[in-house]
Amino acid sequence: MSIVACVKWVSHPGEPHDERFAGMSMADQSALEFALQQGELLGQPVTVITVGPAGADKVLRDALACGATRAIRIEAPTTAAGTDVATAIADHIADAEWVWCGDYSLDRGAGSVPPFIAAHLGAEQALGVIAVTLLGATVHATRRLDGGRRELLEVTAPAVVSVEGATARLRRAGLQHLRSAAAATIEVMPATTPIHRAEFMVRPYRPRARELPAPTGESPLDRLRVLTDAAAASAARGETVHLAPADAAARIVHALRDWGYRDS
Amino acid sequence: MTDRIISFQERMDTAEFRVHHQAHIVVDSRVCADCSTRECVIACPANLFIPTSDGGLVFNYEQCFECGTCYIVCNREGAISWSYPEGGHGVVFRRT
Amino acid sequence: MSTPDVDVIVVGAGPAGSCAAIVAARAGLDVVLLERGPFPGSKNMYGGVVYPRILDTLIPNWWEEAPIQRWVTRRSTMLLTDTQALTIDFRSEAWGEPPYNGATAFRPDWDHWLAGHAEAAGAQVLTDTTVVGLIRDPGGAVVGVRTDRPDGDLRAKVVIACDGVNSFLAKEAGLYEHTDAKHYTLGVKETLALPKEVIDERFAVRDRHGVDIEILGCTGNVNGGGFLYTGLDTLAVGVVLKLPKLAAQKKRPEEIVAGLKQHPAIAPLVQGAELKEYSAHLIPEAGLTMMPKMTMPGMLVAGDAAALCLAAGIWLEGVNFAMASGMYAGEAVVEALQANDTSATGLAGYQRRLSDTFVLKDHRKLHRAPELVLSDRVQHLYPGMVANVAERMFRVDNPHPKPGLRRILNEERKKAGVRRRDLLRDGWTGFRSFG
Ligand SMILES: Cc1cc2nc3c(=O)[nH]c(=O)nc-3n(C[C@H](O)[C@H](O)[C@H](O)COP(=O)(O)OP(=O)(O)OC[C@H]3O[C@@H](n4cnc5c(N)ncnc54)[C@H](O)[C@@H]3O)c2cc1C
Ligand code: SF4
Ligand code: SF4
Repeated sequence: MSIVACVKWVSHPGEPHDERFAGMSMADQSALEFALQQGELLGQPVTVITVGPAGADKVLRDALACGATRAIRIEAPTTAAGTDVATAIADHIADAEWVWCGDYSLDRGAGSVPPFIAAHLGAEQALGVIAVTLLGATVHATRRLDGGRRELLEVTAPAVVSVEGATARLRRAGLQHLRSAAAATIEVMPATTPIHRAEFMVRPYRPRARELPAPTGESPLDRLRVLTDAAAASAARGETVHLAPADAAARIVHALRDWGYRDS
Repeated sequence: MTDRIISFQERMDTAEFRVHHQAHIVVDSRVCADCSTRECVIACPANLFIPTSDGGLVFNYEQCFECGTCYIVCNREGAISWSYPEGGHGVVFRRT
Repeated sequence: MSTPDVDVIVVGAGPAGSCAAIVAARAGLDVVLLERGPFPGSKNMYGGVVYPRILDTLIPNWWEEAPIQRWVTRRSTMLLTDTQALTIDFRSEAWGEPPYNGATAFRPDWDHWLAGHAEAAGAQVLTDTTVVGLIRDPGGAVVGVRTDRPDGDLRAKVVIACDGVNSFLAKEAGLYEHTDAKHYTLGVKETLALPKEVIDERFAVRDRHGVDIEILGCTGNVNGGGFLYTGLDTLAVGVVLKLPKLAAQKKRPEEIVAGLKQHPAIAPLVQGAELKEYSAHLIPEAGLTMMPKMTMPGMLVAGDAAALCLAAGIWLEGVNFAMASGMYAGEAVVEALQANDTSATGLAGYQRRLSDTFVLKDHRKLHRAPELVLSDRVQHLYPGMVANVAERMFRVDNPHPKPGLRRILNEERKKAGVRRRDLLRDGWTGFRSFG
């Protein structure tokens, strides 16, 4: 099991969960497409995995119809917490070399499942990727950074790559594959660890108001540049620091407080 | 009390369209250029045929109900090539 | 010749297709039901009332599980002029109890539910798949379909085309002699949200009881009609419009709906309701006048694809005709495959069933109704004439004595510019159709 795509059965944001409207997000579709392309490139089968109730078999069958060879569903309610989902997946794919995920799920995505999987597997990670080049043993991935900058990553196995929607267009399943996928076996497994309900906010995310200095500049165009130009904005406040992970986290929290995003 | 009047765009936004990247209806503006009756402009319930000031016609396929009205009312051979969008794409009704 | 992949392909998971698939699959045939939408019902729209009694045999006690909004216990027909309204209003408590009569339902719910029965019967339902053409053998017989998927050909012993009003399959097979814009009407509707209690109060109904109103004289210069139906916490309001007439004037469909909603008799019913969904669809309006050949070697056509929708002018029944014709097509296919004969003769059981049942009997009976109801006189002259007669009948004009009905009728007829001969003829046509 060396190439794995993780997909989720979700509804559109703001919609009640209805099996007619639920399916794979664009991001998950992109992840699956990269997994399938990599499978073809390396001559390896692709396993598709989901955590969810029986209805989620639909997205697995869609993936099988597109060319995945094995489908696993870990039994859990749709409300499962991201950390538990990641643990459940990682436990079942311990020997995976390449794990492809959507960057975050449509319904209440925090984008936390892919990094948790990577942590469990001790794998490299490339998260929120906007472009992918498959090169056999390695993968080149492009990430979006603040201030309009890009980060180019060279990833080697074992690795978890999470991709944004619309980075790849999922291939259309052939008719005969669609028919056989409907009858294919899906391996249903219990979760190896307890699954908790996700705690999440039901109100829309609204950052606190904060003061912005008036833009400086002679002409309206200059001022507009200051407001919109990535380079100018980050030059004003950007800062590169080299710290140990724990210190870096503390530094970020501190900065957020300074900028008025956090109370305490 | 009178009810708020909504714009045509708001009206169309109440329906869901899973737009495919390829147009399922193609209108040949050369044929339309000398059509004076312009049946499609009045009849298309999605208002997708828009006359331009220079006497031309622009057509957008994205928010189409796939009803078939346009190709049935149009009397000019070759003006409209009409087909359904690729399976799974196009309009998705909910409470109809 | 290549071997078939399955016994039966049904194209289109509307009411016709699902019923055909249920019957064929229950008889043990290998059935594939192909639907171009992401789920059955996602492409389908109608006014809002189903008459499901035809399901009594297919799905006993269907009312215990069907996804209905309200049971129609009040049915009205309204004649409108700009300032007047005359309503014939009927209500029956019996229609609010099993086995019921009509019900309001949403098609994305109804068709999805019905296709679930096809799946339960063993048919394979494949969505997101558009059929783009027929596969025929050198002799012309249909032996399968082409879909828009890679590797997308599928072969079968028989194809049942239930692909709706535009039926490109029936057209490709040459079953329609000719198609004409005047055989079609365009339906546009608004689904509006209102709280259930408000609907109950405005329409004088309780619980799950609901109302079905058909309206004449509300479409301006365009021949057609209007409708207003109650869902549980929604209203469906819309119009059906004759295509050539629509295209030949200046008012767009949504403006005609807006006009209807502003009429003094309708405005208080829809006031404050918020637009939830706007939609449109075509109706094959001309019944027997436009019907195609129903069978050819290897293929049958059912439902709207065969123009079997019954449009008695503004009274529309299509879903029940689709379900029935689908069912009969399924039965005929079972018969034909048992006899191993899918030639025109082998499939003749379908036409026979249509002729022997309400499907074609009602069409024959109401043959002239659409033409009459959508005629210029009924559309533009009679509503005003009849409303004026009623107004004068009910008006208390003291000290003038009450005039006799015959005198009023005669005066109003002349005022409206209707010739006695035409009135008598239309009356006779109406009597023969509806009587
Ligand atoms: C405005 C309006 C109001 C109406 N009011 C009423 C009413 O109140 N009561 C009533 O009983 N009837 C009413 N009707 C009529 C009724 O809707 C139709 O008669 C009925 O839907 C016909 O059913 P069907 O199964 O034949 O076709 P449809 O319901 O049209 O189903 C056809 C199916 O085939 C699919 N399809 C089409 N082409 C393809 C293809 N190439 N490949 C794959 N799939 C395909 C479509 O997606 C669709 O699901 C109304 C119609 C309209 C438009
Ligand atoms: S589509 Fe047809 S009706 Fe419309 S402008 Fe072109 S030729 Fe005329
Ligand atoms: S199919 Fe209907 S909605 Fe689409 S462009 Fe034609 S008339 Fe307009």
